[in-house]
Amino acid sequence: MHRLFAKQLAKATKPSGEVDLDLLGEFVDAAFEQADNDRRRTDRSISLMIEELDQLNRGLESTITERTRDLREREAELRLQNLRFNAALENMPQGLCMFDRDQRLVVSNVQYATLYGLDPERLKIGTPFRDILEWRVSNGSCPENGEAYIEGRLAEVDRGTSYFTVDEMQDGKYIEVIFQPLAEGGWVAIHDDVTQQKRSEERISHMAHHDALTDLPNRVMLREQLDRHLSTVKRDGSLAVLCLDLDYFKQVNDTLGHPVGDRLLCAVGKRLRECVRDTDIVARLGGDEFAIIQPGLEQPMAASALAQRLVEELARPFMTEGHEIVIGTSIGISVAPSDGIDPDVLLKSADMALYRAKDNGRSAFSFFEAGMDADMHERRTVEIDMRKAIAAGEFELYYQPLINLEQNSISGFEALLRWNHPTRGIVSPGTFISLAEETGLIIPLGEWVLRQACAEAAKWPDDIKVAINLSPVQFRSKNLVGAVMSAVANAGILSSRVELEITEAILLQNNDATLATLHQLRSLGVGISMDDFGTGYSSLSYLRSFPFDKIKIDQSFVRGLDKNSDAIAIIHAVSGLGIGLGMTTTVEGVETKEQLDLVRAEGCTEVQGYLFSKPQPAAEVPRLLASFGKKKKAAA
Amino acid sequence: MRATEFSWSASDMWLGDRSASEGANLVLYFGARRAFTDKARFDELRSIFPQAHILGCSTGGQIHNDDVVDNEITALALQFGATRLKLVCETVTGVDASYDCGAAIGTALKADDLAGIFVLSDGLNVNGSKLVAGITSIVGRDIPLTGGLAGDGAEFNETLVGADDSPCSHRVAAVGFYGDAIRIGHGSAGGWDVFGPRRRITKSAGNLLLELDGEPALDLYERYLGEDDAKGLPGTALLFPLQICNPDQPDNTIVRTVLAVDREKRTMTFAGDMPEGWTAQLMRGNFEKLCAGAADAARQAHSGIGQGESAAILVSCIGRRLLMGQRITDEIEAVAAELGNKTVRLGFYSYGEISPHAASGICELHNQTMTVTALHEAA
Repeated sequence: MHRLFAKQLAKATKPSGEVDLDLLGEFVDAAFEQADNDRRRTDRSISLMIEELDQLNRGLESTITERTRDLREREAELRLQNLRFNAALENMPQGLCMFDRDQRLVVSNVQYATLYGLDPERLKIGTPFRDILEWRVSNGSCPENGEAYIEGRLAEVDRGTSYFTVDEMQDGKYIEVIFQPLAEGGWVAIHDDVTQQKRSEERISHMAHHDALTDLPNRVMLREQLDRHLSTVKRDGSLAVLCLDLDYFKQVNDTLGHPVGDRLLCAVGKRLRECVRDTDIVARLGGDEFAIIQPGLEQPMAASALAQRLVEELARPFMTEGHEIVIGTSIGISVAPSDGIDPDVLLKSADMALYRAKDNGRSAFSFFEAGMDADMHERRTVEIDMRKAIAAGEFELYYQPLINLEQNSISGFEALLRWNHPTRGIVSPGTFISLAEETGLIIPLGEWVLRQACAEAAKWPDDIKVAINLSPVQFRSKNLVGAVMSAVANAGILSSRVELEITEAILLQNNDATLATLHQLRSLGVGISMDDFGTGYSSLSYLRSFPFDKIKIDQSFVRGLDKNSDAIAIIHAVSGLGIGLGMTTTVEGVETKEQLDLVRAEGCTEVQGYLFSKPQPAAEVPRLLASFGKKKKAAA
Repeated sequence: MRATEFSWSASDMWLGDRSASEGANLVLYFGARRAFTDKARFDELRSIFPQAHILGCSTGGQIHNDDVVDNEITALALQFGATRLKLVCETVTGVDASYDCGAAIGTALKADDLAGIFVLSDGLNVNGSKLVAGITSIVGRDIPLTGGLAGDGAEFNETLVGADDSPCSHRVAAVGFYGDAIRIGHGSAGGWDVFGPRRRITKSAGNLLLELDGEPALDLYERYLGEDDAKGLPGTALLFPLQICNPDQPDNTIVRTVLAVDREKRTMTFAGDMPEGWTAQLMRGNFEKLCAGAADAARQAHSGIGQGESAAILVSCIGRRLLMGQRITDEIEAVAAELGNKTVRLGFYSYGEISPHAASGICELHNQTMTVTALHEAA
């Protein structure tokens, strides 16, 4: 019996045992009704649920389809991206490798393998870093001492900080390595062959420190080396700095051209190197200036010996492109620590000593001495003042009469330069002419003298000449002839009234060019005088080389006339020569009546000296002419 | 502790062992609303049990031993030895006052030796979740709190609660058990099966459910019930309770049952909160599983007390009864089998059950469950 029916039956059974069938029927009916309802609800809810679940299922399916499509697209994108990354990786010029936290290879490219001569097949994912290092050591693609290199690299990896290094390989290659640790452990490293770059850097560095022409160290390197050696000197020791300047190099350039000059400089550099020890430094500072650092040794003896050797060696002729070239060198020397331990001071001191050497006549050497810098300073001050003086009109010409002994009259005046310095008073030509020649100021000054003297002469009677001194430096200027021409033309005087006085020194330099200039001047109609004859070489060959109009016998002969019979003989001989060659002979420095009588007796034709007049300002010339005229008349 | 059962019927009046009347401290009684509205029943009990607190409520059917009856009033007279009792009663003005009402009851009962609380509440004008939260906010979560919401058969018109006076609506009453002699075992289990898709509560306010997955919740219920059953709303909605859970704690599920519907506004009122964002899934009953659930609840409760004479108060959901019909006695028998014949069993079908959650131990309002509160006093 069904449990429920048993209960229903029990409930419908009266205490008497009689079953209330109506009640039982109600129970059973209700149970059936309830079962039906329950089944209906169940069916309904199941079908609704199926419907809902089906709908959800369809939604899920479409979501899955969409997601799958998205995933496929993403996968394709990733594949493409992967291809691009690979292309980038394999086409980058550098080698790249990436390792995981366990120091195992994750990624590398062909360039990495090539760079270190590794078989790409061996560089499989998972290869330990140490294995790769060991392969490199075994094939030699590592710096010297492979074992130390391996340990060093592994230590860097352990340290785990980014670094940058350039390794020099055993074969001379330079490999730059940039190491970058990764956040999740491991690292990425980029390896680049920077050999070319390194070589270029070395070349650039060499160029920055060497002279391009001679390949000798340049001023920059000289300075560095000097610093380096001086740091040793500070502790103990000594060194010498030699500054060299070539004599007559400019003439080589001017006459034979720069290519020859350049070859000569190279030859000089070579010869200098041959004269010094390997430890000495020979540098070219520019132009014809060289310098030598001579570290150690007993100073100043060693520097002195070296300088002497250099002067001698550089005086030996150079054979350059078929030319035998003779130059020389002047050398200034400073010594550390006695002259200082500051590199600039030492170089400057050697330079000052060089000036002294040049002043002392070339092909010489000179040590720096205290006081040189004061002299130098003085020279510089004078130079500055002189530049201003031309513009300020501080220069003035004085005039000393030249007396024609035959006619006993003034035949002309020699123009003599004076400098009325606003503070120093009158500065003698001996002080400033040589400086003007060195600095080139002689060119504008000489032109001014030419213009001024000619202009002054224009105020004089037509038969009175004007004598003007020329400097050898003016002869090196290509404009000399033009300057003379324009001075004469501007003054409006006859060129025959102008006498140009030159010294033997002019003829010493580059004879052909000088003679050509002299002939050009002569062709203008001006007279050419040989001044100060007897003080230099007094070579008769000079007198033969050019048809001078006048010889001026130096005043030193006149001073010795009284007691020196040689002087009389020379004056006699020269005046005789003058007569023979058709030249006027002028004697300078005649101060007494006795001297006048002697030179007149020896046949000289013209005199000049304090006996007649000191050099006078231009304003005095008319008075001199007038008074000489009166004397003449009185004498007559 | 002595437990004695009594019953009233129109024909037999009060039946029971009158020897228990003098010593009884507490009488619990349950009956249909219509029987309860008659003040005479309380007066009769008061005269039988002059010393006892008398606490009771209207129901959706009374459980008396192994049977479920509608016409009787059933009562349980309890005589405690060492255990002290305190009865408190609060009037609740409306659903919104539920928490404060709970807090007031908690405050009135709170004491250091409070061992447990049994509460009976109006079943229609109270948010059971809030009521429970209000009580536990004062007494703490560790004090066992059991009980239920009064019922009104399948009519959902009015529910009544009586506490030492004639029963009336808008009332919550609770008895506190004090001392260390009392043992209170409790168990709660449903046995319902979830079915169909998981839905989301997309619109709600407190215990008012507006939308599931963006659709009016009432539409869903009407569709599932069909035209005929839909006419029986809200009662028929009990056939399809909702299992809800916070999506972050999917294992901590709660079953909610319907108290009222508003066909105009398309809303449904549930016996507890329906938080927005929570997951909801329809449930349906399977007789065997519901019986197994009831047995499980009895087993939990029974394990919480010692051996010896004990009483069990069964509070089961009206929804279970509506579904099982005449076979509702199956679940009563399942409970009886677990508790054994030394335990006096009495109870009612409610609009909501109150018991600690079987998994979390936190006192909550349950729906569609069988809850069993077992009482025993240590010697």
